[in-house]
Amino acid sequence: MARVEYDDVSKRFPTQDRPAVDHLGLDVANGEFLVLLGPSGCGKTTALRMLAGLEYPDSGDILIDGRSVVRLEPKDRDVALVFQSYALYPHMSVRDNIQYPLRVRKQLTAMERLSKVDRVADLLGIRQLLPRRPAQLSGGEQQRVALARAIVREPRVFLMDEPLSNLDAKLRTHTRTELKALQKQLGVTTIFVTHDQAEAMTMGDRIAVLDAGKLQQLGTPDNVYQRPANLFVAQFIGSPPMNIVDARRDGGALVLTGGWRVEAPRGLAGSDGIKVGLRPESIDLERAPASGAQPAEVLVSEPLGSEVIVNVKLGDALLKIRTGPDVRPDPGTPVYLRARPGGVRVFDASSGAALN
Amino acid sequence: MVEGPGVTTRAASRVARTAAAPRGASWIEALAVHAVFVLVVVFFLVPFLWLFTAAFDADAVAYIRFPAAPTLNNFVRIFTEHDFGRALLNSVFVAGSTMVLDVIAVALAGYSLSRLEWRFKSWITYAVLLLQTMPLSATMVPIYGLARALGLRNSYAGLILIHAAIELPFLVWLMKNFFDNVPRYLEEAAWLDGRSKLRALAEIVLPVARNGIGVVAGLAFLAAWAEVLMMIILIDSQDLKTVPLAFYETLRTQGGYTEVQYGLVAAMGVLYAVPVMALFLMTRRMMVRGLVASSRGL
Amino acid sequence: MLARNSTYIAGVAPAAVLLALFFVGPALWALYSSLTNLALVGIDAANPRFVGLDNYTRLFADPDFWTVIRNSVTFVVGSAVIGQFGLGLALALLIDHAEHRRWWLGTLAYGAVLLAWVNPTLIAGFLWVAMYDFFFGSLNHVFLSSLGASSVDWIGSFPMPAVIVANIWRGTAFTMIIFLGALKTIPPDIYEAARIDGANAWRRFWDHTLPSLRPIAALALLSITMSTFGTFIVIQTLTNGGPGNATEVIALFAFHTAFKSFSIGYGSAIAVVMLGLNFAFAIAYLRWSRARA
Repeated sequence: MARVEYDDVSKRFPTQDRPAVDHLGLDVANGEFLVLLGPSGCGKTTALRMLAGLEYPDSGDILIDGRSVVRLEPKDRDVALVFQSYALYPHMSVRDNIQYPLRVRKQLTAMERLSKVDRVADLLGIRQLLPRRPAQLSGGEQQRVALARAIVREPRVFLMDEPLSNLDAKLRTHTRTELKALQKQLGVTTIFVTHDQAEAMTMGDRIAVLDAGKLQQLGTPDNVYQRPANLFVAQFIGSPPMNIVDARRDGGALVLTGGWRVEAPRGLAGSDGIKVGLRPESIDLERAPASGAQPAEVLVSEPLGSEVIVNVKLGDALLKIRTGPDVRPDPGTPVYLRARPGGVRVFDASSGAALN
Repeated sequence: MVEGPGVTTRAASRVARTAAAPRGASWIEALAVHAVFVLVVVFFLVPFLWLFTAAFDADAVAYIRFPAAPTLNNFVRIFTEHDFGRALLNSVFVAGSTMVLDVIAVALAGYSLSRLEWRFKSWITYAVLLLQTMPLSATMVPIYGLARALGLRNSYAGLILIHAAIELPFLVWLMKNFFDNVPRYLEEAAWLDGRSKLRALAEIVLPVARNGIGVVAGLAFLAAWAEVLMMIILIDSQDLKTVPLAFYETLRTQGGYTEVQYGLVAAMGVLYAVPVMALFLMTRRMMVRGLVASSRGL
Repeated sequence: MLARNSTYIAGVAPAAVLLALFFVGPALWALYSSLTNLALVGIDAANPRFVGLDNYTRLFADPDFWTVIRNSVTFVVGSAVIGQFGLGLALALLIDHAEHRRWWLGTLAYGAVLLAWVNPTLIAGFLWVAMYDFFFGSLNHVFLSSLGASSVDWIGSFPMPAVIVANIWRGTAFTMIIFLGALKTIPPDIYEAARIDGANAWRRFWDHTLPSLRPIAALALLSITMSTFGTFIVIQTLTNGGPGNATEVIALFAFHTAFKSFSIGYGSAIAVVMLGLNFAFAIAYLRWSRARA
């Protein structure tokens, strides 16, 4: 149980010209599930490894429960890390793998250790695997053993470095749910690194989006999705991502590419060069002309079962629009677009920052 | 160390190239190749044939002949008349201690070089390879002078230290390559589980790299067992006489070569060579793989 | 940076001390004593004088030195370049070929070559002493006499070829193993593609097999050149440099100068020349292998 703080942490690797982590500040509450999300090379794993003690920050401080840990060895930080590749000790049985951290700490008798290993194994449903070697396990089983080894220690903080990325798609979705439930049950502060925005959205209490070593936005999944702080977040989160089109102001309205006029959102800060962002579900598609609706032409429809993504050509831009499963216009069909009120996001074209 | 893919490719290559051979490859070719092999086998094995027949022949001579009555008499005589037991003990002790010292030094250095992150790291590797190519015969005079100055002549410590050093560059380099194949996240996991770097090395990294440790230990022992040049310049005390020295002396001190008691020398030769050949051939695959890897350069 | 790596630097220390003591130390000491008149015994042993480059001028003016250099080159070319390298390459190709055809005699040949190599060098020398023996050696007493030919004084009449053959016997396995390893890394699809293009077995060999061995061949050649250049035990056992100085190679010359003539300073100058030549080869080796990487 612990609170974790990153205080203006920077780290640059000698072989690279830009910092891997650039003035990162984060405050993770006790018991929170925080996801570090970003593309590969954004610094999320480095940030995690600095908390684990596997990398050393060049500047700034990292605190657990208000006490700086940057001078502590990894072994003295009382944090557990689940590696992307699981890092199971290949020459030890599953039981020995799980009880290894307990043996190292020497606080328990052999009997206590074994019963604890059994309890954790039951929790994760891997009791029958205990006598085996890691090489004899499937990827999903290995992942559970790695998790068990982290849980058995009852550490102050769980760190997870893309622990689901080596699982197949179906198992990944399943484990996602399970892991989230488990974390709530145990109540241990967890920092989870991933490049998969769906994983981040479903699991995190809050998401910290990183790009090029810099924190782009920190917020709840809803907040990050609905109110992206900048163009990077807008395009990184959501599948399909937010539609971004060039636009200009015209009095109280915004004129988008292709001449589409939408009402400017209230409280829009002043700026000239702008881009407008529309989530695929923030655009309504109509078959018949209506006043205020923008005519456009269907390029192709992509049915996904529960929904259909209609690709529409508007001027020189391509818009992706989410519709119900029964709407499947053929290519070339004329359609009419209407932006949902409250769904229009405006960004500064040069800085990328959100203006509303 | 990764057996899987390599083996499949090799097997595939075998199939493909067998198939590539022209059908009914001419018997002349087969005959010629086999004739070459027979010559090769004769050339390389005949000297051994002599060694093994002479060792069991009470009146062995310089040429190959099968003993009329094979006997262990020569072996009995080298132990009773030439104190060969002492030499064997000395050799086992020196080679064994060299092995222990080398394994410790090589494990620490190989691991450190593998994990060190430093701009000039590649230069260390070059320097190690450079040292490895230094011929002992060039430095034997200075080593003699040094050993004399440090009081390392005629001492077990001197023999062990120098033999540990001789193979060190090669073994460190070999072991570094083994450690390079051990993923770092294993030791990182052990650190996070609460282990110091040294304990994580001992409990996690070394067991995973145990093949490498085995090769290093084997090579260190064999090299120290077989080496003779340093023995010659460092030892003149009878008490410290090792197997190669006993062999060398028996060969040398009996006047001209024609007076050599071939049976005795051959018996010593068998006991000197057989452990090396046996150990090497038993671990041939690992040793050869290590050697091939080393030939690939950096 | 330093703090982070300090554990690893400490880990290198034991090995570094041993290497400094028995590799770097002796090399530097050789360099120093080659500039003195240090001797093994007598007054110069206690009080060596600095003599500048005298040892080197003496060495380069010494006709024996040039004989020794010539002997060394002959020995290296004969036993390493032609013998171990040529025979090793040929055997690797034949054994690889035999492996594809499943001819078991190839495996036996491989084992025989390997056995000669893993055998202690001193034994190798001794076995050939017996083989070459004038009165009772196997070569004369068994082979030549069964052919009805009269005995040949192998070591007396052909000293250099005799030591070269013995060293080929001892060292061929190294190149053979290296080339066998390299042959196994040639991807089979190259051969399949060549067959589809209509290349026959010889063309495939010339166009694909040999070129893919070329880079490793250079490294193997440099490597055995270096080790053959320092050969000591085989020759010392067989001829001890004789008859006369017919087989006196540089390592024996350094040894004899230091331990028979007791002139350590002069012997060290020879050692420095050896180290210098070896260094040049090693640099060539490193450059070559770095260019490949």
